[in-house]
Amino acid sequence: METKTKDYVSYKDALQAFSTALQEPEWMLQMRLDALEKIEDLDPPVIERLRYNRWPLWQVPNLTGAPAPKAIDPFEFIEDKADAARVIQTGNDTVIETLPQSLKDKGVIFTDMHTALIEHPDLVKEAYMSKAVKPDTNKITAFHAAFMNSGLFLYVPKNVEIEDPLEAVFIQNSLVEDSFIKHVLIYADTNSNFNYVEKYLTKGDTKNAANIVVEVVTKAGAQVKFSAVDQLGENSTVYFNRKGYTFRDSTIDWAIGVMNNGNVVCDFDVDLVGEGSSSDLKAVGISSGRQTQVIDSNVVNYGNHTEGNIFQHGVIMDRATLTFNGIGHIIKGAKGADAQQESRVLMLSDKARGDANPILLIDENEVTAGHAASVGRVDPEEMYYLMSRGIEKSEAERLVIRGFLGKVISAIPLRSIRDELVDTIERKLTSR
Amino acid sequence: MAVLEIKNLHVSIEDKQILKGVNLKMQTGEIHAIMGPNGTGKSTLSAAIMGHPSYEVTEGEVLLDGENVLDMEVDERARAGLFLAVQYPSEIAGITNAEFMRAAINSRRDEDDKMNVMDFINKLDEKMAVLDMPEEMAERYLNEGFSGGEKKRNEILQLLMIEPTFAILDEIDSGLDIDALQVVSKGVNAMRGEGFGSLIITHYQRLLNYITPDIVHIMMDGRVVKTGGAELAKKLEAEGYKGLMEELGLDFEIEED
Repeated sequence: METKTKDYVSYKDALQAFSTALQEPEWMLQMRLDALEKIEDLDPPVIERLRYNRWPLWQVPNLTGAPAPKAIDPFEFIEDKADAARVIQTGNDTVIETLPQSLKDKGVIFTDMHTALIEHPDLVKEAYMSKAVKPDTNKITAFHAAFMNSGLFLYVPKNVEIEDPLEAVFIQNSLVEDSFIKHVLIYADTNSNFNYVEKYLTKGDTKNAANIVVEVVTKAGAQVKFSAVDQLGENSTVYFNRKGYTFRDSTIDWAIGVMNNGNVVCDFDVDLVGEGSSSDLKAVGISSGRQTQVIDSNVVNYGNHTEGNIFQHGVIMDRATLTFNGIGHIIKGAKGADAQQESRVLMLSDKARGDANPILLIDENEVTAGHAASVGRVDPEEMYYLMSRGIEKSEAERLVIRGFLGKVISAIPLRSIRDELVDTIERKLTSR
Repeated sequence: MAVLEIKNLHVSIEDKQILKGVNLKMQTGEIHAIMGPNGTGKSTLSAAIMGHPSYEVTEGEVLLDGENVLDMEVDERARAGLFLAVQYPSEIAGITNAEFMRAAINSRRDEDDKMNVMDFINKLDEKMAVLDMPEEMAERYLNEGFSGGEKKRNEILQLLMIEPTFAILDEIDSGLDIDALQVVSKGVNAMRGEGFGSLIITHYQRLLNYITPDIVHIMMDGRVVKTGGAELAKKLEAEGYKGLMEELGLDFEIEED
């Protein structure tokens, strides 16, 4: 295994200098150094139906803190929108950061992680890798905690409701060789209510690793609608961990488009801790070419009357692999909890490999749970019906596939992201 | 004037022969009805004409203006002018009704002559009003969660939007209450005219009280056994299939209800 050849501890001085140069608080440096010590001894997470120990995920990033020599024009990827609340990062640099004054006045914080650690260290500390994702959970989280090199912090104060979505765009800089260790922390204070959308892209063809952790922590009664479109590049090997942690009566609803072009492991997890909290986790994926994407969704009901829903639909083309693992876990004592899941994979090629793997782990009696899973082809009845109205076979197939993925698309609140996801799907399907 | 001619049609499903030589000829401007007991091959006939993949034509021809549609793909048959309204259409989530109908209409048009959105919406509004369908049904997913009556109205809506040359209605009246039956009939009657012909498959005579057929065919045991005018349906209603069988000297088991 490649990991064995690395002596992570030898990076201690460089890491210390990196943290100091960024003026990080003492706790952050300490977390990095503790994690650094643990990387070697921890194992990578076990992902059902995937062996990825040879994946190049372990390249230590550039710790000199020097800006990337090649700049990326963000407007190659995004439209100019002056008034929107958004943060755009290229590589490790934040190039656009706008937040309407009305939101600043309410105490909303939406800024890059380095700035947040300087300006709001205590607030970041409350939630950063302490609730949802822990540094010592596994080798990947420890690596992440040690080497995190950029990110985003979003804090929405108590009782603040925001109508328009907050938007983040992360463009991985693969014009240069560097690992992309991005951390997004979304901290929703009591009874706050907002939409957040994020987008991941890659510029350049250099082979790079990405280790991305997104944490969403919702305090009592908070409601977060989270949407994402992931489109990282063909030469990016990615571990993606999005994890929610819910306090009492709070809700996180996710709609995620897994549209990357390289090999990707997604761990989408929610710990439903507070009584009456809930999470609806919807994901769609397309795998094409020879890529492998595994989406491992894991919702754990700890609290009484918690509700967890996993819904994942995916399409596989060419010689690609797409696996959905859906894990619903009800912990002993979580009375009245509900865990539901549906995973379906549509195969468009004989050489494609697909898997929908439902796992229900139930340690409490007074609960409800259910699952559905299927791997199949386009329904010939549906094709016949559409074609009987004059629609050509290729167009009919395109409509059926779009319909199959539609439930997640329609859950995305921001029209531009919705359209972008539809466009991405169409592009992938027409490239066959 | 267009002509649809079914000649000596034999059809099997999973090696079981259902149609044993159906002959039928119709032209635009005419409404034909096919009646017959359950299990006699009425729906098989409609599915075979449209090209359902489960039905195998073992012998015979279906000619549309002299051209054998059995040589065409399903979508080609539709674009050639055939339409089939069914009792249980597929439910397809993620595609809105409006989007679907627009794709169907545009499939018949050239690349540089696609129907523009305003024209489409105006036509859709007009046709939905004919069928007493609430506007929101256009934006619902195709047949998903529709009641039986809504599905059938939606089939007729597609008929009005697509305006085919020949429409086959396969037991579109089954399970409809009188109000819905009247609405569906109103839709079909609105299509009546020189350029349109329809083949109405029904188990019951009552639909024919609202859509008066020019010709009535009786099908039994995989064949058309009698053809007549509108009065034949009324006679059948009065005397039942058993009476007709005696008259024709036929002898086989039928399901009578």
